[in-house]
Amino acid sequence: MKRLILNVFRAQQFGLIVIILAMGFALTMCAGYNKGINKFLNPNTIMTTITFGAMFAIMAVGMTKVIITGGIDLSVGATYALSGVAMAMVLKSAGPMGAIPTLLLGLAVALGIGTLCGLINGVAVVGLRVHPFIITLGTMWIFRGVAFVSSKAASIGIPDNLINITKNTFGLGKGIYPMPMIIMLVVAIIGEIYLLKTVMGRNIYAVGGNSEAARYCGLRINRSLISVYVFAGLTAGIAAFVGATYYGASCCIDANGYELFVIASAVVGGASLMGGKGSAISAMLGAMLISLINQSIITLNQPQDYQWIIIGFAIIIAVVLDRLGAELSIKRMARAASSKIDAEIEIPVITN
Amino acid sequence: MVTYVAQDTPKVQTTPKVEFKHITKRFPGVVALSDVSLSVTRGSCHGLVGENGAGKSTLGKVLAGIYPLDEGQVLIDGKLVRITSPSDAGKNGIGMVHQELAFCENMSVAENLCLGQTPSVGPFTSHSKLIQMATKRLKAIGANIDVNQRLGLLPISQQQMVQIASAVGRGASVLIFDEPTSSLSQVESERLFELIRRLQSDGVTCIYVTHRMEEIFKLCDTISVLRDGRHVGTRSIEGLTEAELIQMMIGRPFEAYFPGHLSTERGKELLRVENLSSPGKFKNISFSLHAGEILGLGGLVGAGRTEVAEAIFGLDPLAKGSIYIDGKPEKLIGDSQAAMGLGLGLVPEDRKRHGLVLSMNARENISLPILNRLANLGWVNRKKEDSLSHKYFQAMKVRAAGINAISASLSGGNQQKLVIARWLAANCKVLLVDEPTRGVDVGAKAEIHGLLDELAAQGSGILMISSELPEILNLATRILVLRHGQIVSELNREDYSQEAVMRLMAGMGAENAA
Repeated sequence: MKRLILNVFRAQQFGLIVIILAMGFALTMCAGYNKGINKFLNPNTIMTTITFGAMFAIMAVGMTKVIITGGIDLSVGATYALSGVAMAMVLKSAGPMGAIPTLLLGLAVALGIGTLCGLINGVAVVGLRVHPFIITLGTMWIFRGVAFVSSKAASIGIPDNLINITKNTFGLGKGIYPMPMIIMLVVAIIGEIYLLKTVMGRNIYAVGGNSEAARYCGLRINRSLISVYVFAGLTAGIAAFVGATYYGASCCIDANGYELFVIASAVVGGASLMGGKGSAISAMLGAMLISLINQSIITLNQPQDYQWIIIGFAIIIAVVLDRLGAELSIKRMARAASSKIDAEIEIPVITN
Repeated sequence: MVTYVAQDTPKVQTTPKVEFKHITKRFPGVVALSDVSLSVTRGSCHGLVGENGAGKSTLGKVLAGIYPLDEGQVLIDGKLVRITSPSDAGKNGIGMVHQELAFCENMSVAENLCLGQTPSVGPFTSHSKLIQMATKRLKAIGANIDVNQRLGLLPISQQQMVQIASAVGRGASVLIFDEPTSSLSQVESERLFELIRRLQSDGVTCIYVTHRMEEIFKLCDTISVLRDGRHVGTRSIEGLTEAELIQMMIGRPFEAYFPGHLSTERGKELLRVENLSSPGKFKNISFSLHAGEILGLGGLVGAGRTEVAEAIFGLDPLAKGSIYIDGKPEKLIGDSQAAMGLGLGLVPEDRKRHGLVLSMNARENISLPILNRLANLGWVNRKKEDSLSHKYFQAMKVRAAGINAISASLSGGNQQKLVIARWLAANCKVLLVDEPTRGVDVGAKAEIHGLLDELAAQGSGILMISSELPEILNLATRILVLRHGQIVSELNREDYSQEAVMRLMAGMGAENAA
């Protein structure tokens, strides 16, 4: 039991959770009351905050894998839009169906298109040997352009029976829809287990930490690289499914600029753009933190105009703090190791 | 051997030019310098000598402001100075000629010579003044180099001249040379020595970092020996013998440096290579490796040794030839997974670039190539991984907090042990080791030597590439000498001497060795 508590404290997510709780607490204190209900600490506001963050938290789980390999995926926002539009169009042309067929068809299209977009990115990055920033900058325009052309820029509605699934209150009360949160948690947990417990996950860290060393160990690097972009595309497809069914429609300008929220979430969650470091759960918590900052501006009735400035600062501060912490722990480790080595090696003295 | 003494050595003055007091410098995992105190006489050529990893380069870099020191003081001309950056060092008249050249290769010689001091007219740089200034600086050291040439296009020896000209031109009165001859030819080295002597006669104090015996006795008038980051002693070169110096460097008599051999029993053939060639790298390499053997692959840097090992391990898709494992022909070209599967392992030359994933811990690095064997349907079996990693972590006597210590925090020797542990865990029968003790401290070096010997005795076959002649001569049971990508000779232990191998490597032929 003591070990378990110790591990919880040592976990890299611990710091993030503390910050989120502290901010939540401060916000509760500052929020004030409306008809005896705290303006922040009430089920509706909290669920809204989580749901807003859930859309890019899901994508951040995929993004963090890409970043661990030392890459980046700028096209996730566009992939989201294309997957959502494709799903809406297919469901529309298929006509009314029962809830289960609609769900399966919708999922298949959204996830399929997302995965396909990711596969295109991955194969292009590996095959063309161009930096992923450039490849995904290109596909970002291409995917959104395809969504634009095929939907003729129209907003396309989603069948009601699908919306009802996502907007299920599970009897928690009016206006509380926990489905996006549940999906986010499931995706983050699966993503984390994949990274920590599977051979493929370990290989992702190795490729990002030192791809040359991984090659000298006989790992198939290209396979790992393609897989992370496929993952990023898949999570964008999942997010598109959740988003489209939650908001009730899909449009080619959905999730415009989300790629930056997603990258920010992964980075606030401790992923290093140099590669080799990152965590799915932390990326999700990073998204929650960003969503919370966003919510605090709304709750405190601050002008929305300042939102971007505040989020921008928050991201830089979070990353600098994370780096300082890492440097400190390396220094501490080095000192411990060197004192140990000092003690063990005996150096014979030469007398001249 | 005639020791060189500068004709007009200035009279020794009471205040030393440079004085180090209780210098300590730590890096993650190692104490590079520990309480080093020594002084350098004005106008002398002071040799800083020691083995790889002894801390000699680090001391030079501390003086040049590249590494900030953790503890201690530096005095120049008896005055306490604080040097925290190369520009601080420059202000105090200290210049450094680096081992890896630290210049902008994309810019011209002139621009590099005046970097940070670019002459200008108003807000614009003045090309004519720049050329003038650069030419003057080159002339001052007697170098004849086109100042408009792009620096990256010059041979290393000329780039080095530019570095020296730059330092002297900035008014350096102390010049640190960090193993300057490591990539120079014999003739180029001689020219450099002449220049150093001339600088010395002009009153420049030279600090010369090296581990090459020949250069120490040719050039230096005083030497300070460092070992494992500690100052062992400072001696005048006069009356010092090579054997004494080696003893100071390695801390024990030379004969006791290498372990006695456990076994030279030659078992069955494990690996045979026939007519292995790779365009532009090596050709017609044929040899066989037997159980119980340590086969040394000697040769100069660039002879193609590393490339041969990489090709055998399937890292060179362009290679051609046949490779037999246990007498059976196997298709290993360009397929390192297959090579691994057949029990081959490669300990690469550059462990930071090719060996370890430094951001991962010891356990993850050990299990990296064999993770598939430790997993069921893609799921890593953590218990198996832990116990296997732990077993080889202990067998290799890695000094670290435990198997979960981040490998970046380990010292060079312990990192090297991790790479070897990885291939032991993979159950390798044939181990290709490339410069196994480069940058490894003395203690770990002896341990690694002992381990390679033990592995061979247990029936593994080891192909060892090494640039250190003593290492290859003392460990290998047979030596293949490679030159310009071809095997020029095969020697058995009974037949070889340091001189014979050296001659073959340099291309002088064994028969002439007399």
